[in-house]
Amino acid sequence: MTARDRTPIFALAFGIAYAVIYVICTEVNLPLLTYHPVTGEIGPLWQPPKNGPVMYWYGWMVTALIGALVLAWIATAIPEQWLQRMLIFGCAGAAAYLILHTVALFIYDKATVELEFLKSRWLSAAAAVIVSALVSYLLPPQWYKRVWHGWIWVVPLGAISVLAYYLSPYFTR
Amino acid sequence: MIFWTTLLIIHGLMALALLGAITHQTAALWWPVRAPAGSFVTRFRAVPGTSYVTAIIVLYVVTFVLGAWIYTQYRFTARLALEQLRFLKTVGVFELKEHLATIGLILLPAYWAYWRVPLSQEYANARKQVTLLLAVLVWSNFLIGHIANNARGLGS
Repeated sequence: MTARDRTPIFALAFGIAYAVIYVICTEVNLPLLTYHPVTGEIGPLWQPPKNGPVMYWYGWMVTALIGALVLAWIATAIPEQWLQRMLIFGCAGAAAYLILHTVALFIYDKATVELEFLKSRWLSAAAAVIVSALVSYLLPPQWYKRVWHGWIWVVPLGAISVLAYYLSPYFTR
Repeated sequence: MIFWTTLLIIHGLMALALLGAITHQTAALWWPVRAPAGSFVTRFRAVPGTSYVTAIIVLYVVTFVLGAWIYTQYRFTARLALEQLRFLKTVGVFELKEHLATIGLILLPAYWAYWRVPLSQEYANARKQVTLLLAVLVWSNFLIGHIANNARGLGS
């Protein structure tokens, strides 16, 4: 693979990896640095507010940047088929998790008996891994020949949907 | 205050230039002109898309950096006022703007890679998709910026 061939793969993997890591960082709150805008102080990792509000956004971006650079570099080193396989597995897993967890919470809400286990994220995640593995196994081999560059809009659009969902309390309160 | 207002105006002007460039390029890419240019709309679509790439990347990065800088001031001035006034939808939509801006920024390496000259037919679809997504993000952020500014902006 030439350097010219590798550039779009690096850019694709970087965009996808960044979007996914960024969503995780915002959800779990994993900033590599914290900014205190009132005092202009910058501190390492997560810090509680002091003398006014804090900003974690810059920290999330730095965390995601480092992670995405590493993953993009790995992506250029592995065969295209592997990368495509991982992307299908990851996207199918994310979609399956979203559907399964939503269905589980819906059943929990409507059930007349207490089904506490349905609220577990780990259960939905485990089921999603199984579904994703099945999907990856059942897909025809031609799907894995080359990397599909359409992932560059599918994954960021999925990330935006999740981020918008997290912000829904602002619009429902 | 004059400093931040000046910065905000420059940010707005940069965003406007970016909006024009990305809209031109997206229109030319998705709705290419088949016949010689005549009307205003046809001429709008008749631009060579490749000539916009560097300008769009530079404008995006500069607009982003300025926005990220102004954001520090917004966080403990305008936002606190918006929260006290219970303008939660405006706060929420501005929170979304920071995420949309980040997603747009990380699309730029791929956008640049797919638009490299000579244009590769292999990336024709990806080029169209990433350009459209970038245009949607720029438009969204431009409109959200306006909403936030109208709610609690200059001279408030």
